[in-house]
Amino acid sequence: MQRLMLRYPSGKTALSGLTLDIQQGQFVYLVGESGAGKSSLLKMLYGGVRPSSGLLMAQQIDMREASENRIRDIRRRTGIIFQDHKLLFSRTVFENVALPLRVQGWKTERLIPRVRKVLQYVGLEDRLWSYPEALSGGEQQRVAIARAMTANPAVILADEPTGNLDVDTARRVLDYLMDLNKQGTTVIMATHDLHLLKSHPGRVVQLHAGSLAGDYIEY
Amino acid sequence: MQDLLRGTTLSTEVIPDKINPRLPGGFNLPPFGVHQFLALIIVCISLWAVGVLWLAMQGASQWVGSWQDDIHIHVYLDAEKKDSAKKLEQELSSISQVSSVRRISQEEAARWMQEWLTGGGLQQQDLAKRLPITFELSLTDERSEFLFSDIRDAAGRFSGKVNEDEMNLAQVHDLLSQAGLLAWFASLVLAIAMSLIISNTLRMTLLARADEIHLMRLLGAKEWFVRTPFILEGMVIGAGAGVAAWLLLWPVVLGVSDGLETMQVDLNAWVLLLPLFFGGGIVGALGALIATARVVSSEASA
Repeated sequence: MQRLMLRYPSGKTALSGLTLDIQQGQFVYLVGESGAGKSSLLKMLYGGVRPSSGLLMAQQIDMREASENRIRDIRRRTGIIFQDHKLLFSRTVFENVALPLRVQGWKTERLIPRVRKVLQYVGLEDRLWSYPEALSGGEQQRVAIARAMTANPAVILADEPTGNLDVDTARRVLDYLMDLNKQGTTVIMATHDLHLLKSHPGRVVQLHAGSLAGDYIEY
Repeated sequence: MQDLLRGTTLSTEVIPDKINPRLPGGFNLPPFGVHQFLALIIVCISLWAVGVLWLAMQGASQWVGSWQDDIHIHVYLDAEKKDSAKKLEQELSSISQVSSVRRISQEEAARWMQEWLTGGGLQQQDLAKRLPITFELSLTDERSEFLFSDIRDAAGRFSGKVNEDEMNLAQVHDLLSQAGLLAWFASLVLAIAMSLIISNTLRMTLLARADEIHLMRLLGAKEWFVRTPFILEGMVIGAGAGVAAWLLLWPVVLGVSDGLETMQVDLNAWVLLLPLFFGGGIVGALGALIATARVVSSEASA
C-alpha cells in the first residue's frame, strides 16, 4: 500500500498517507490507540471500505478499482476474525463454521468432515452440534478461528481476537494463529494486548492517528 | 494450512438424530415462523376474494350466454307510416350483422299483447289498430361495434323507435367486459396489496437476520445466494396461500350450486387452481423482490 488514505463519508479521516508492504506468509500485529486506524485498515483489506486515495494492492488486486466480483473473490480467500466473533447464535457451531464453504457452494455431506476436522484442530470437535451460547468466550473465539480457517484462506485478518479473553485463553488463541502462520497463511492481527508480543513475536506495525508510527520486528 | 486439513475426504458421515443442519443462503428455505403464517393467512383471504370475484364473473358469463342467443331487437314504426315500412325493412336487412328481419303482423302483436295482459279486457281488433308496425330483428354478432347505432340510425330515418330495453340486454356483454376490466383492476390492486404484505413480512425476517446477511456478504457470498432464500420464502407463502384460497372456494361453489343450477350456471372452480397457485407464487416473488431490493450491509461509516 502506498500513500493510502481513507476518509469516511462523515468526514473523519481514518488513515492518511500510509505506506506499507506486507509479504505473503508474514505475521503482522497492528497496534495503536483506539481510533488509530487498525480496524479501518483491516476493513480495507477485505473490501469493507474502499481507499479514498493512494494505492492498496491486496492479493494482487487493486482495492480501489476492484469490481464487486473481485471483492467477493478476495473475501473468499480471506479469513476474518472479529473481536465480537460475529457468530450466529441461532445456528449451531457446525452451521457457523461451515458458512464460508457453504457460500462457496459446498454440499452439506462434504461439509461435515471438513468442519469436524477444523474443529478438531481448535479442540472443539465434540461441540459440532452445540449452539454458540452454550460455549465460553474462549470457545466462541476458537469457533470464530475455525470459521476463518475452514476455507483454507491465504490471509487471515483478525480484529482484536483476544480483546475479551483472559490471558491464558488469549495465549491459546494466539497459538492457533501462529500455527496457521507457520503453515503459510498470512496473519494480520489488530491488538491492544501488547504483552502477547513477548510470548508470540512477529512484525509490529504501529499506527497513530491514521499514520504509520513504527514498523519493527518483535523478537 | 493444507497440512491441517489433510485427510479431509468426502464421506457419508451420519448426521445425528434430531439434528437438521439449516445452512443459510442459496436454495435453502428459511424456517417458517408466526409472521410467515400470518402473512399466508392474510394473502389467502385476499386470493380467496380474487377467486370469488372470478367465479362470479364465470357465473355471470354463463348466465348471460344462456339467454343471449334468444334476444331479438324490436323496431316500431307508427301505423300511419305504413308506406315507409317496406323501405325500413330493407334498410334494416341491409345491416350486415342483422341475420333476418321479420315483420310481425299487427294481429300477432295484438294476440301476444292480449296474452301478456291477461284479463285486461281489451278487444284484439281494437288493440291491433292501435299497435305500431313491428319488425323483429335477429342478430348474428351483438358484439359488433356499430350495430346498435346502425339500427337506431335506420329507425330514426323513418321516425321509427327501437326497443331500448332489448338493446341494453343485447349489449350486456359490454357490461360484462367492463366488469371483467374491473375484476382485473381489483385483482391487480389486491395483488399489489398482497405483495406489500409479503414484502413487509419478509422485511421483518430480513431485519431479524441482518447479521447473517451481513456475515454472508463478508464471506464473499453472491447477491443471488443471499436473496434467493427470501424470494423462495415469498413464493412459498404466495403459492401456499393460493392453494389454501382455492380450497376455500369449494364451500362457496357447493353452497350456491343448487341456486345457480336453475339459472343454467355451473361454476367450475378447477380452472382457478393454477391461476391462484401461480398468481400467488408470482405475487410472493414480487413481494420478496421489493423486500430484498434495498438490503444493504453498509460498512462505509465511522
